[in-house]
Amino acid sequence: MLYFEKRQSVPQYFKVIIPIISLLIGLIIGAIAVAIVGINPLDVYGGILSNAFGSWYAFSETLVAATPLILITAGLIVVFRMNVWNIGAYGQYIMGAIFSSYFALFASHGLSKPAMLVVMVISSMIGGAIWALIPTFLKIFWEVNEVITTLLLNYIALYILKFLMYGPWKNPESYGFPLSKTFPQTAILPVLFKGTRLTVGIIFALITVLIVWFLIKKSKFGYEVRVIGDNPLAAKYAGISVNRNIIIGMAISGALAGLAGMTEVSGIVHYLQVKIGADYGYTAIIVAWISYLDPLVTILASILFGGLASGGYSLQITMRVSYGIVGLIESITLFSLVGAQIFLNYKLRWKNGSS
Amino acid sequence: MDHHSIYISLLANTVKAGTILLFPTIGEIFAERAGILNLGVEGMMLIGAFIGFIVAYTTKDPYLGFFAGTIAGGIASLIHAFISITLRGSQIVSGLALTIFGGGFTTFYGQKWINMTLNNTLPTVKLPILSKIPYIGPIFFSQDLIVYLSYITVLVMWFILYKTTMGLNLRAVGENAKAANAMGISVYRVRYMWTFFGGLLAGAGGAYLTTSYAPFWLDGITAGRGWIAIALVIFAMWDPLKALFGAYLFGGINALQFQLQASGTTIPSAILNMLPYIGTFIVITISSIIVKTRHVRPPKELGIPYIREEK
Amino acid sequence: MEEIVLETRNITKIFPETIANKNISFKLKKGEIHALLGENGAGKTTLMNILYGIYMPTNGEIFINGQKVTIKSPLDAIRLGIGMIHQHFMLVETLTVLENIILGLKEYGFVINKRAVKEKLKEIERLYSLKVEPNVKVWQTTVGEQQKIEIIKVLFRGANILILDEPTAVLTPQETQGLFKILKKMKDDGKSIIFITHKLEEVMQIADTITVLRKGEVIKTLPKDKTTKSELAQLMVGETQTCDFLRKRKETDETILSIKGLTVYSDKGTKSLKGVDLDVKRGEILGIAGISGNGQKELVQTIAGLKKVAEGKIIFNGVDITNKHPRFISRLGINYIPADRLAMGVAPNLSSIDNAIMRRYYRFPLSKRGIMNYTKALAYTRMMAKAYKIKLDNPFAPIKLLSGGNMQKLILAREILENPKLLIASYPTRGLDIASTQFFRQKLIEIANKGKTIILVSEDLDEILSLSDRIAVMYEGRIVGIMDAEKADKNTIGLMMAGAKA
Repeated sequence: MLYFEKRQSVPQYFKVIIPIISLLIGLIIGAIAVAIVGINPLDVYGGILSNAFGSWYAFSETLVAATPLILITAGLIVVFRMNVWNIGAYGQYIMGAIFSSYFALFASHGLSKPAMLVVMVISSMIGGAIWALIPTFLKIFWEVNEVITTLLLNYIALYILKFLMYGPWKNPESYGFPLSKTFPQTAILPVLFKGTRLTVGIIFALITVLIVWFLIKKSKFGYEVRVIGDNPLAAKYAGISVNRNIIIGMAISGALAGLAGMTEVSGIVHYLQVKIGADYGYTAIIVAWISYLDPLVTILASILFGGLASGGYSLQITMRVSYGIVGLIESITLFSLVGAQIFLNYKLRWKNGSS
Repeated sequence: MDHHSIYISLLANTVKAGTILLFPTIGEIFAERAGILNLGVEGMMLIGAFIGFIVAYTTKDPYLGFFAGTIAGGIASLIHAFISITLRGSQIVSGLALTIFGGGFTTFYGQKWINMTLNNTLPTVKLPILSKIPYIGPIFFSQDLIVYLSYITVLVMWFILYKTTMGLNLRAVGENAKAANAMGISVYRVRYMWTFFGGLLAGAGGAYLTTSYAPFWLDGITAGRGWIAIALVIFAMWDPLKALFGAYLFGGINALQFQLQASGTTIPSAILNMLPYIGTFIVITISSIIVKTRHVRPPKELGIPYIREEK
Repeated sequence: MEEIVLETRNITKIFPETIANKNISFKLKKGEIHALLGENGAGKTTLMNILYGIYMPTNGEIFINGQKVTIKSPLDAIRLGIGMIHQHFMLVETLTVLENIILGLKEYGFVINKRAVKEKLKEIERLYSLKVEPNVKVWQTTVGEQQKIEIIKVLFRGANILILDEPTAVLTPQETQGLFKILKKMKDDGKSIIFITHKLEEVMQIADTITVLRKGEVIKTLPKDKTTKSELAQLMVGETQTCDFLRKRKETDETILSIKGLTVYSDKGTKSLKGVDLDVKRGEILGIAGISGNGQKELVQTIAGLKKVAEGKIIFNGVDITNKHPRFISRLGINYIPADRLAMGVAPNLSSIDNAIMRRYYRFPLSKRGIMNYTKALAYTRMMAKAYKIKLDNPFAPIKLLSGGNMQKLILAREILENPKLLIASYPTRGLDIASTQFFRQKLIEIANKGKTIILVSEDLDEILSLSDRIAVMYEGRIVGIMDAEKADKNTIGLMMAGAKA
């Protein structure tokens, strides 16, 4: 019979192989799913590949998608490392977009572009952080399960956005479409390369990753996060304030998701609307896990999944293949990844007969 | 319609909308009682809703649709069972993956079904005598068969949980898996069984949605009901009877929201649509406070993989 | 010719890192009490887990009533008439006593037939005078009652072979005598009993045959009548250990720690401490005796700032530390070695370095303006390992890979290096082998001889008696008596542990 045997040491390359194999399994099952409806999987993957990495413009679009992913994931890593489950990045991202849009739409008078952008960055981070801190305080005071509360706040944020878009913030000249007026020029993030939509947002993202990397690997906060994540009782015993660190972590996480929302509305969309960007908030969860919560690896993983999202979107338009295929591939990858963790601690063995 | 019949129909719709939540809540209660947290309820409901819809649509038999959706939910739960029980993976991440999977699967295959409508929905079957009782009759006993099935499910499951050896084994596994194993109970088997049961009921909730309450197909039609069900498990404190009240409370919010929208209210629809989530948010906060102060607690083994000792 | 009910032949169990059992052969006769004697880590529990189907042997054979059997799961063991009473009870606390007793049984129907269960309970009560209240929840029962439930569980399954793993560890001396009576009755009834222990006195009192294990091997099997305690001790330990530490009492009349009316609630909302008053004198070793679960853990954790004080006051060196932050308390000079290493003492998956610096990572030179200096942390860890003889091959590897003794040494070193004024050691030698135990006891004496104050919590009465200057006994959340160690005797302490007033 097959059984698992405990390992004494883990080969280092496992942490590289497991994510790659997981992604491959995701792609293979995705291919089967596509083949079932009579589409050639090679066409689909070829399409995704060329739409994501086939040209400089395609690649720039991938980076456009990677920008919010990197920002959100960088924040999620901090809290996931403490086993705090912020599933609410999507809502925090929307709140960041709403907060910064408020200034772009209603308070832009007399502000220079740099001042305006600074205001938007800060307000988006505050918006995201508030949205993350509500469930955090409920968790700390009354042990309210943060998985459920952060998730519910996603829906609530989405309906707040819908309320604004169909109501008070609606552009009267939008012919009934739920969107706001276009932002003034001062509220738009500068583009990095002409002819692309890639903005300085990607630079924010890269700087953020470096800061988070430093925080986790070199700072006292990072040490405390590590102890809390491994054994909260030991942390308490060592005099570490678990709640304070969770609050700080969630504030960081929410602020970065909020900032991602700002880079999207200010850098890409240029107005507020009901659908801003892809499901970055959920994809970031997968990116975080596939990177083993390592901030530097998230850059690579974000580009990969950013490419999948961006390529998948183009595919929906060019080949009429549903965007659902991206969710399918992502989820199977995540399943494989979680399932494969067992190989870090166990070996699969075969034993003959009954003894 | 006079006021009287408006209230009656509102309450009858409350029961219908509540049934959509009742099945998955009961299912999740039993999975969690076995120690398995399945955050994939939303995904399993979506799959149940989708399969239920297309089977009912193509066979023109809503019962067959409901049955197929139920089975589909059960099958989907086995992915989670395999990863969290056999491979001892993180139940939280695996459950989230299942939710994403349900979304991706139904979006992908549901593309060509969008906005199609089912003509044969589950028919109303008025129960003799019972349906004649004033108020109670039209509200509870002038429904379709699946609603009656949900009443039976609640009672039977309550009985199984507290009065039978099967329920005893389940509670033991969820409270102290090691002790259960030492008494010769197969922890893996109990966990697989109840996780599958949870999947069946999540599928049932989804299938009931599309074969009765909202007989059409839309992307993401369950709209977060799976998460509401998970919150209701805490509200119900892992007790099937209490789940009934929670499910109908939220069914009521749902029914009210539709009634208001239909009556052309001036309240913006975004605000109305937000109500169930705000309600859930408040309810889960309050129930968590109650759980904490009353020292009722979730099953001790919830979320912890069981590792039988090295052989 | 006596009937052999159970026999093992050359049982070997190899775990990836150790050989737990090596060619173990022994025979259990019908109607005898067979003691398996050995110190911690001798392989007793592994062997029993093999007999009960929890582990599979790497090699070797098991015979029941002369038939060769393979036991793949507890279910197989139960079917073969083997019943086991584990060291840590296998009870589900939230279920009732009755539900626990029939757990896993199919005879009582799909819908549980409570009347039939109660009838059988009466029969057992009549045969063995084992009485329990079937309808209460297990968490409401005492430890002694829980052991009775475990025995009844085994009898319910019609076991002819009973295995008891360290059954007296949680009992008072008086409760132990009660257990022995029951065991003798079962023996007279023709049941065979394997009694696992490391306590020589009990072996001499109850066993018919004794098999001594050491380092996973059978050293000798001999009838009780033909051996002595000292011979057994020699067989168990190998070469005899010498105790070369000498306590020089240094206590003063000055009170270093004063506790008044301390009340603390448990997670279940019940009082785990019910108004504890205690004065600890500077320079003494104060032993706290008691059966585990009577508030010792809560008392020391509250002193360390890890539990919330509901009522009462704790004054240390003139400073009120009631409900103060754990770090504030440790910086005042109270350090704490927790009872459960893996649960609280360490972060198991982090490196030895991360664990070694837990008490000082936030101070210069390990950290400066929020930035860590891991080079200094490594140097500190190496120094610690050298000074305390901790075997540390790779300080970057997860600490959980260290042996229990080494891990405990690291915790001890970490706490002592903070130069505490008061050291609280909770079950410091639990689960350690004899050499490590000796090392620990010696260290504690050394520190105390330098004038430090120590609070020692232990379930091992011998340890408490041999190390302490004064002994406090806890029972049901109160201190029921406090006495000078020189005037204390085991029997009085035992009675106090069971609730008798001094």
